[in-house]
Amino acid sequence: MDIDKLSKSLHPLERKVLPFISKHTTVDELVKETKLKDVEVMRALQWLENKEIISLVSEKVTRIILDSNGSKCRKEGFPERKVIDALKDKELTIKEIEKKTGLSNEEINVSIGALKSHASVDVKKEGNDLKLKLTEQGKKFFDKKLIEEVFLEKSFPIIVSDLKDLEKLAVDKLKKRKKIIKIETINIRKATLTDLGKELIKSKKLDIELFDAVTSDMLRKGSWKGKEFRRFDVAINVPKIYGGKKQWYRRFLDQTRDKLASLGFEEMKGPIVESDFWNMDALFMPQFHSARDIHDAFYISEPKYAELDESVVEKVKEVHETGGKTGSSGWKYDFDVKRTHQQLLRTQTTACSARKLASKNLKIPGKYFAIAPCFRRDVVDATHLNNFFQVEGFVIEENLTLKHLFGMLKMFAKEVAGCTEYRIMPGYFPFTEPSASLLVKHKEMGWIELGGAGIFRPELVVPLVGKNITVIAWGLGIDRLAMFKHDVHDIRTVFTHDLKYLREAKLL
Amino acid sequence: MPTITFSKKDFENLVGKKFSEKDLDQFLTYAKAELDGIAGDEITAGLDDTNQPALWSVEGLARLAKGVYGIDAGIPKIEVHKSKDQILVDKDMHKVRPFIACFNAKGKKLTDNFLKQIIQLQEKLAEGFGRHRKKLSIGIYPAHKIKFPVSYALVDEKVSFIPLEYKTEFTIAEILKEHPKGKEYAWILEPFDKYPVLRDAANQILSLAPIINSETTGKLEIGDDEIFFDCTGTDEHVVLLAANIFAQALYDRGFTLSSCEVVYPDKKVFTPDVKTHSIEVAQVDFENLVGVELSSAKIKECLRKMRCDYDSKTSKVTFPCFRADVMHKVDAIEEVAIGFGYSALEPASLTSYTAGYILPKEKVLRACRELMIGLDFQEIFSMLLSNKELLYKKMNVKDFGTIEIDTYLSETYSVVRTWLLPILLDMLSHNKHYDYPQKIFEQGLVTLKKDAAVIDEEHLAGLSAHPKADFTESKQIVDYLLSMLDVEYSMKEFDHDSFIPGRCVHVFCKGKVIGFIGELNPKVLENFGLLMPVCAFELNLNEVIKEKEA
Repeated sequence: MDIDKLSKSLHPLERKVLPFISKHTTVDELVKETKLKDVEVMRALQWLENKEIISLVSEKVTRIILDSNGSKCRKEGFPERKVIDALKDKELTIKEIEKKTGLSNEEINVSIGALKSHASVDVKKEGNDLKLKLTEQGKKFFDKKLIEEVFLEKSFPIIVSDLKDLEKLAVDKLKKRKKIIKIETINIRKATLTDLGKELIKSKKLDIELFDAVTSDMLRKGSWKGKEFRRFDVAINVPKIYGGKKQWYRRFLDQTRDKLASLGFEEMKGPIVESDFWNMDALFMPQFHSARDIHDAFYISEPKYAELDESVVEKVKEVHETGGKTGSSGWKYDFDVKRTHQQLLRTQTTACSARKLASKNLKIPGKYFAIAPCFRRDVVDATHLNNFFQVEGFVIEENLTLKHLFGMLKMFAKEVAGCTEYRIMPGYFPFTEPSASLLVKHKEMGWIELGGAGIFRPELVVPLVGKNITVIAWGLGIDRLAMFKHDVHDIRTVFTHDLKYLREAKLL
Repeated sequence: MPTITFSKKDFENLVGKKFSEKDLDQFLTYAKAELDGIAGDEITAGLDDTNQPALWSVEGLARLAKGVYGIDAGIPKIEVHKSKDQILVDKDMHKVRPFIACFNAKGKKLTDNFLKQIIQLQEKLAEGFGRHRKKLSIGIYPAHKIKFPVSYALVDEKVSFIPLEYKTEFTIAEILKEHPKGKEYAWILEPFDKYPVLRDAANQILSLAPIINSETTGKLEIGDDEIFFDCTGTDEHVVLLAANIFAQALYDRGFTLSSCEVVYPDKKVFTPDVKTHSIEVAQVDFENLVGVELSSAKIKECLRKMRCDYDSKTSKVTFPCFRADVMHKVDAIEEVAIGFGYSALEPASLTSYTAGYILPKEKVLRACRELMIGLDFQEIFSMLLSNKELLYKKMNVKDFGTIEIDTYLSETYSVVRTWLLPILLDMLSHNKHYDYPQKIFEQGLVTLKKDAAVIDEEHLAGLSAHPKADFTESKQIVDYLLSMLDVEYSMKEFDHDSFIPGRCVHVFCKGKVIGFIGELNPKVLENFGLLMPVCAFELNLNEVIKEKEA
């Protein structure tokens, strides 16, 4: 390590503490010497250790600290001193001493005991009370401190192993008294200079004046000129932050929307609460179709029935029953008009396509898509959601053929999944004929089903558009692409409320 | 989507050709089916086409394979001998389960494998195509135990017989209450007080339709070589089709078929009626939809591969008796396209120019989300389904117009969400152990019931949870948002039960309340078990969208 660089990287706290470390090793000592706060010294030591300038070793140490009465003595004077002072001029009874010194009876008794032990007072009876008189020995203490007094004036804490003989005597006496001192064993960290630290001190490069931060004031005055700034430890780990960002799946839906728009598709919309009519009947799914079981959809309690354009309902009813003028035989059953008004939570995005086909602003030629929430009556688990997003749409144009449908699927394979290898196979969807399924070979996932498409049946198109025209309907199953990219194996993660996951979800 | 299992060896014997796994995979695409697995000799396949139940059997798949590989193309052969066996239908049967089709098949001994296949087809047809036996159910019986004529009669609940796999007699009432199949399907007969049974000339009950056969006369065993078949239901078309599907399967297996005469009060019908049907499709219609030139010979070849046929003189496409999925010429055109081979069709690009757009509202929605993200809020995306406990009770407010699901599966997801705030608070309650500040927002749809109308609203809600979260913070955010969206707005003090009184405002736009801002009431925080102050806002963006679209 370059000594020059190292010295310039020292924080002002480190700079303050470092010169003392050759003599003083503990935090307490360093606090005393540097006049810094505890935490500041500790931080400085930690940083110095990180830079390998010092090493910190933990040691068990027994030390003495002042207890509550000890602090009181330091402030107000030692009890024996008060008693000696009171007896300076004349002999007094304990009651009189109490009155004069303000000490408690207990404190006076303890003090007398202590003074008697080095023959500093004489005690004699007077009535019910005791009368005290200072001996010659006691008078010496008028201008000489008791060893306890001397000890209590020292600065605490005091390390037991550093005690001198006389101090040991004082400690022995004081520890018998109530709450004057406390002896405790703690772990103390001791700092010693490493070879690098010694070299640094020897280099005398600690005295350079360094700026810690750029301030607006120094910029105004130009005071930074010719000066240097402290070098930071840029390798240090910094605390984590979390920025605001899009939810990963919603972001994926945004991208899909933009992609489809870029391919010339226009977005469609529709309500969440749909009628049986737009959700299924308009799609020429017979009311007795197995996928239309009441147990497969969420029907709502209120309002139970939708308001519909009855002229369109009439056309759809006719085509279900007899095929109308479409050249179809129809489904040959009695279409239930009341049932078609029943309301449910949309089960398929195709409902949006049906609405668009029937709308006045349908563009021909046109390409459309919808990314909309759909609902199925499923138990939610790792592979099922009762609420999910479907991507569907259609292409409407005169003279479209099955070959165009294939061409469109090929485009989706490349543009949506980035796959050039694909397979188109016969498929089945209740409202298209012919129908096709699209398989693509994904770089990492292998062959996957990406979606399907078909040509809407004339029985669907004629009542809604008013004429027969080829409409290629398509749907994409792209959730698995997003899930693969984000390494998601549980479909519920699409709607996860795990903040940690969301904060840490990768964007790319 | 029905899934069936069958023996590979059996399939290969029926087709007359060996199949590798790749061959199978390839072939199944013609049947719109997927190979789900091969375990030893056992093949599992998923059938996508719910309108072609004839393919839900090994016999049906083998029949198609023979066409695809040119072993036997065109309409499959079938022959039914007329017999004098009669089925006499009760005069009141039209009220309960009106239709029946029956026939006899003999000449082959039942093997274990074949019996399994028959039962599988019977179940798949009755469950999938027959709406859990309501529309269609099927019975098969050892014919040698039955004396014709058989009556399809209505009887009362006291009539008794021994149900399949039991040793003692049960009355019909007992069967419906106690027998496992009785309990499973009793709902079909629930509206009636008379019950449909098949009873032979010796007064033996053969079965209670659509519930269970009799142990005495309705149990087929390996080695039996005469089968009586019945199919009952509510849709004549479906009943006849099911009989044809079975008849063709048994014929393919080498059985000799003889018909029954079903005597209704007003008509007599011979079943099975195995005649073909046809639809007229001009050559140009094929070409226009498929997108390639097709000679009539090519059309014929493609259709014959798919076990149909074509007469170029009359332009008629003929379908076999077991196909009932033909309503329109597009159905015939698809057969040609599949027969032609999807892989042989060259994809053509879409050439018309159309401009792409995302919904205009996305402009506002994306701006809001962008601003919130700029303010360091994490976006949340939640389910749209919720429950009233969370939306109202925990929030200390009353229901303000909820779309409730009639047919919900779990209380947790029993309504459509009406606001976002409770959902986001619930989220915070699950993330108490993560670093604060927690700043989250969601932009999404909520659905409200307002009188008879249902309204979808685009909402935006943002929450801050940290030791210093307060009203000011949320108000600053809303001020910033609405001014960046260039929306004129005002605010007015409002006491909302979810917030601390005196620390909540309504936000107005064009005189309408579009949302609120406030400091969450500790009572609400307690309901969610939250130990951190939370300030929040929620805005209905519909007004803003309307203004910006205008």
